[in-house]
Amino acid sequence: MSTETIRVTLNNKDYNVPKGARLIDVCREQGFDIPSFCYYADLALQASCRMCLVRIEKMPKLQTSCTIICTDGMVVTTKSEEIEKAQRAMLEFLLANHPLDCPVCDRGGECELQEMAFDWGGLEERFTESKNYHPEKYLSPMVANDPQRCILCKRCTRVCDEWMGEDAIEAGGRGANTVIGTYGGWLDCSQCGNCIEVCPTGTLLDGTYRHQARPWELAQTISTCTYCSDGCQMSLGSRGGELMRIVARDRYVNGINGEFLCIKGRFGHPFVNHEERLRTPLIRYKKDGKLLPATWDEAIRHVARNLDTLAEKYGRSSIGVVGSPRLTNEALYILHKFATELVGTDNFVSDDAFSLSPFLENLGAPLATHHDIRHAKTILLLGGEPEELQPLTGKQIRQAVRNGGASLLVVNSVPIRLVEQAAQFVHIRPETLDAAVLALADPGSSQAASRAMGIQASEFQALRQLIELTEGDLIVMFGGELSPAAQAVVAQLPFTLGSSTRRVLLHPLPLFNNSIGAHDMGMMRGAMTASQMLSEAGKTIHGIYIAGSFLQDTLGTSETALEKLDFLVVQELFETETTRFADVVLPAASFAEIDGTFTNNTGLVQRVRQSIQPVNQAKADWMITAQLARELGVDFGFELSASAVFSEIAERVPAYAGLRYPLLKDETKPVQVKHARVAERDLSTELNTLRNAVAAMPDAGEKLWETPEVGHELFKIGTLTDKVPQFHLLAAGNPRPETVNISPLYQITVDADLRREAVGKSV
Amino acid sequence: MFIGAIGCEPLQLARVHLENSRRLEVYKKHGGYEALARVLKSLTPDDVINEVKKSALRGRGGAGFPTGMKWSFVPKDSPKPKYVVCNADESEPGTFKDRYLMERDPHLLIEGMLIAAYALGSHVGYIYTRGEYKYLIDIMDEAIAEARTAGLLGENVMGSAFTCEIYTHTGAGAYICGEETALLSSLEGLRGHPRMKPPFPAVSGLYGCPTVVNNVETLTAVPDIIKMGGEAYQQLGTEKSGGTKLWSVSGHVNRPGVYELPMGYDDMEKFIMEDCHGMRDGKRLKAVIPGGSSVYIMSAIDIIGKDVRMDYEGLVNAGSMVGSGGFIVMDETVDVFESTKNLTEFYKHESCGWCTPCREGTDWLVKIFKRIEKGGGRPGDAKLLLDLCDNIEAKSFCPLGDAAAWPIQSAIKRFPEDFKRRLASNGNTNS
Amino acid sequence: MTYIQIGPRSQPVRIQDEIDTFSPEVEAEIDRHLAKYPVMRSAILPLMFIVQRERGYLDPPGVAYLAKRLKLRITDIWEVATFYSMLHMAPIGKYHIQVCRTLSCKILGSDKITSYCADKLGIKPGETTADGRFTLSEVECLGSCGTAPMFQINFDYHENLTPEKVDQILASLP
Ligand SMILES: Cc1cc2nc3c(=O)[nH]c(=O)nc-3n(C[C@H](O)[C@H](O)[C@H](O)COP(=O)(O)O)c2cc1C
Ligand code: SF4
Ligand code: FES
Repeated sequence: MSTETIRVTLNNKDYNVPKGARLIDVCREQGFDIPSFCYYADLALQASCRMCLVRIEKMPKLQTSCTIICTDGMVVTTKSEEIEKAQRAMLEFLLANHPLDCPVCDRGGECELQEMAFDWGGLEERFTESKNYHPEKYLSPMVANDPQRCILCKRCTRVCDEWMGEDAIEAGGRGANTVIGTYGGWLDCSQCGNCIEVCPTGTLLDGTYRHQARPWELAQTISTCTYCSDGCQMSLGSRGGELMRIVARDRYVNGINGEFLCIKGRFGHPFVNHEERLRTPLIRYKKDGKLLPATWDEAIRHVARNLDTLAEKYGRSSIGVVGSPRLTNEALYILHKFATELVGTDNFVSDDAFSLSPFLENLGAPLATHHDIRHAKTILLLGGEPEELQPLTGKQIRQAVRNGGASLLVVNSVPIRLVEQAAQFVHIRPETLDAAVLALADPGSSQAASRAMGIQASEFQALRQLIELTEGDLIVMFGGELSPAAQAVVAQLPFTLGSSTRRVLLHPLPLFNNSIGAHDMGMMRGAMTASQMLSEAGKTIHGIYIAGSFLQDTLGTSETALEKLDFLVVQELFETETTRFADVVLPAASFAEIDGTFTNNTGLVQRVRQSIQPVNQAKADWMITAQLARELGVDFGFELSASAVFSEIAERVPAYAGLRYPLLKDETKPVQVKHARVAERDLSTELNTLRNAVAAMPDAGEKLWETPEVGHELFKIGTLTDKVPQFHLLAAGNPRPETVNISPLYQITVDADLRREAVGKSV
Repeated sequence: MFIGAIGCEPLQLARVHLENSRRLEVYKKHGGYEALARVLKSLTPDDVINEVKKSALRGRGGAGFPTGMKWSFVPKDSPKPKYVVCNADESEPGTFKDRYLMERDPHLLIEGMLIAAYALGSHVGYIYTRGEYKYLIDIMDEAIAEARTAGLLGENVMGSAFTCEIYTHTGAGAYICGEETALLSSLEGLRGHPRMKPPFPAVSGLYGCPTVVNNVETLTAVPDIIKMGGEAYQQLGTEKSGGTKLWSVSGHVNRPGVYELPMGYDDMEKFIMEDCHGMRDGKRLKAVIPGGSSVYIMSAIDIIGKDVRMDYEGLVNAGSMVGSGGFIVMDETVDVFESTKNLTEFYKHESCGWCTPCREGTDWLVKIFKRIEKGGGRPGDAKLLLDLCDNIEAKSFCPLGDAAAWPIQSAIKRFPEDFKRRLASNGNTNS
Repeated sequence: MTYIQIGPRSQPVRIQDEIDTFSPEVEAEIDRHLAKYPVMRSAILPLMFIVQRERGYLDPPGVAYLAKRLKLRITDIWEVATFYSMLHMAPIGKYHIQVCRTLSCKILGSDKITSYCADKLGIKPGETTADGRFTLSEVECLGSCGTAPMFQINFDYHENLTPEKVDQILASLP
């Protein structure tokens, strides 16, 4: 939209508005409220609800303000008898076949139709005929459906198509028989539940929380998602110490993600109040003995004593301190402080799928925000699979292409689903992504690189051309398949790819909610990686203090490592592969029970807020570490306040300088940390490493042709999603149950625990 | 059933009675493809458009939009391909003229489309025919094949530099797909929902390219316009409504059929009583729906002795519209409440469901009609019906909503007693 | 239960994937339709009629075939098929008697034709005879108002109907 302005007259008052502005938005900005159902910013226009009617001079009929672009001198009336009659009429029509039993509807209390009816009041019931009937049903384990309440605004079908690119739910039938649904009545999709979120009425409902609570009983707490690195803002709805549901409805929260969430963010929370949460600290007094319940004081003392002995026996660096990229900045910072200042070991790390240090330490341009992505002109995606691993990024890319006309360039060894939106797809051999980076940074090597990638050199020239043609933002994204050298080169690409008319922004795709924070807090700058630490177990490493658990992949590298340790302390929510060998297990609090911050893949540091009291005897990770420190004679002295910890972070970590919790309180104005920018530097070493790597790559090898199934990553059962019975159904292929009238949960047994879960929920 | 012209030489119906009138050689023997030949030899696209403008030809599909003007909206300089789409969805109740034009004289349509395509710089035309007319699609396909082998279609039409293909396309049972933008959605393989206007099809239509949608009768008028010249064609009719018009006559007349009348033919009474051989079984005329179900219903009083002129202005003055020329005659045995219910059920069935007022409104209207029919009529019902119509009219996304409202509004206005009778004694119907 | 992959964006749809191709003649017919349009999806209605002709109605394998052939999602087929009254996603009689019920036919006695057929076949409008031979429907204006009352059996028009004529027509059906 240009900065030029034009004059329009609204209700006899003149306003200057940006050229090209949409009338409905303008009216609302100027405080004239216009009712609407089908209009939804940044979705294809629908103009079907006919609620937004206004009178425009020199136009024959009332006009739908959602379809009108303001023109200079336009004279508009938004309130008049004629207009109110029309709008009341539309509402009356919508209510005609709509059941008037809000008290039994899960949406009651947060339903746009209900609110509009109440706002206007004085609706006489002229419709005395019988209403068209459709039974309630389930569309999937996640999505419940009450077709009678549908007003056919088609927000759901549009988000499914435009946000998710899935087009799994559609309108079928015609006229008054139109229904929202799917072929065969079963919903085969990524189960993001965004259709539920945008539904203004009680038509599409959260099937995992059917009839469990009323909106007004829930305390709403704005927080940040604990799953992927996109860091969606969400509202935690809790009642009596129980986390009931998670939503992103704009009436509660307005973050970077709008009303978008993915299946994990929206439905992945039942682990919080799960019966298998650790209840008390546990101590294993002799090696092959059992873990026995203990008090906190006992446990902490026990840990302190053993760490002391280890330090005396093998030296301080025999103790490894390990964090998890799921922890808050506060927890990770204190771990780092604990390792470096108290224990005095270089052997600390946050166990992540891959380290972004080489990238962040060569950062040549700012990190792109999700807003930048939506408005980019060109997006270069190197590896990765955002639609499964960073779903918000995936959605922003899709909208940039579909609603913003951006061109997407995909370089990947797998034909991921986003390829459908791509202007160009460079289909390379597995494990040759470094070659692509080399070809980008050093055209001279593109011949060799192309051979390694198994593509025509022309393909890469074409790609370069599309980049050269870009005027505006070029965003370079990359997944985890890059070597450290390649990461460094990518971080410096802005200097090669940028120009006076082309701004280059970078967007890393780490896997965890606080992978970036872990780096910022210094946890990735230790002497060894997690796997190295494990392979040193029993050699140079004799004790490990870990907050969280080792990743399966890390453990996989050396099965028996943990047994070789003299002493292992684990802070966890649940018993895991790692706690199996623990000498002490300390119950930690989940994200819903604590205050803190996460830093997402765009460098935004966002608040995590306490929604419920810690479950059982759990404590915030950072508090446990602090308590341990006190036991070891050092008082970090944060008076149990996360904000005090964050203030120290702001003092010690330059990128966070000057930040305070109060500055982070408004999720609509997120704050980006200032990662140090590195000037253009000589990359010959890295480039040589890459050249050698490429030279070593075989110039033959099969390509992967299968487009991965929706959900192949999202539905994976992890420690947390394992506690959500519905995920087991999805992981089992989302089978259609006998009847769709009751939740599949009570009809299909995927495994015994699942059954127990289901029954437990039903009583 | 009668097919022929009254009050003028048959123009579009000139060949319908010839033996094998579908065959190319028959068509050619009777002046077929001469217009196209002239166009290709000696006329520029603009010449063609000007002739059509001069002819005062107005769209015969129902909207009555001046055809020449519509053609001139197509951007000449657009790099995109341009499309000519023939609207053969003929689903307006009471209308069946396009059917006989295509059945008896398919080459006339092909020639008309070719001339239109030439005038608009288009190289592809589609004939969107309602699915129920499958036998017409087969007829058109045969004719198209004939024309192609004769070099009248495809590369270098008639040896000229002009290239054009014409394809048939089938609907599948949806009245709304007669609405031009819904037709385009349907032709693109989508649900038949209308689209927002602007942009108008002439600018962004089929596949987002400039597109002209014209009715069968409109396109089949074009060859004669070229042959006789725009003025001459216009002279056949009136100043604002040029040429001749086909009227599909049905209902209680002795001789239903497709009548070609000069525009401005007067008067309607004579037409019914003489040309259509009067009312069946000598019953009395009660009502006429002159332009297809979507126009205002007229009562005998508006016709008898009123010299109603049968053209666009004449019918507006008489309180109705030409519409598609679906001329439905009803005698005294008809209960207008029932006939209106019948049509309302049609609109409910055909509402595409996109927008609130039409989808919910028609559903509600039908429910009220059914209740009244079952004897559940209430004093306020006529008022309620009229208010609901007012809430649909001019607020719906496309004109189908209006089309559903108008018959009811005019019926209650012109036949109050047929409604009064059904509503409780103190029924108040004049509001 | 086999999975089929339809188009790049779609995931497997749980539905029998029985039809790989129809007979060469039918496949050729389908290709002729596809050749008419710059955009594949435009051929969806013609192809649906063909599948309906070949399979009796748009049965699951037929739907899967369409999705595969047109590179569309199953949902795309469903949303379109359910919009048009001539497309059937449930089994239907061999002969579909479609009596026009709209005004011009109505005032010339279409309802009598309907009830005559109903009594004769022992079914109500919307029903199918037990032997699956006849389905009776009331449909909207078929463009035969000048020759009312009328019905269409499958694609054939039968006009100026009288009970006697109905008897002859039904008797003459193979
Ligand atoms: C609900 C509705 C149904 C229509 N049905 C038809 C139709 O069956 N045939 C037709 O030619 N035009 C029909 N029209 C008119 C078309 O929208 C369009 O005006 C016409 O095809 C333009 O061609 P013309 O200018 O030659 O009349 C319909 C319009 C509406 C609103
Ligand atoms: S008025 Fe609305 S619902 Fe009716 S046909 Fe037009 S768009 Fe569809
Ligand atoms: S918001 Fe404008 S029509 Fe629905």
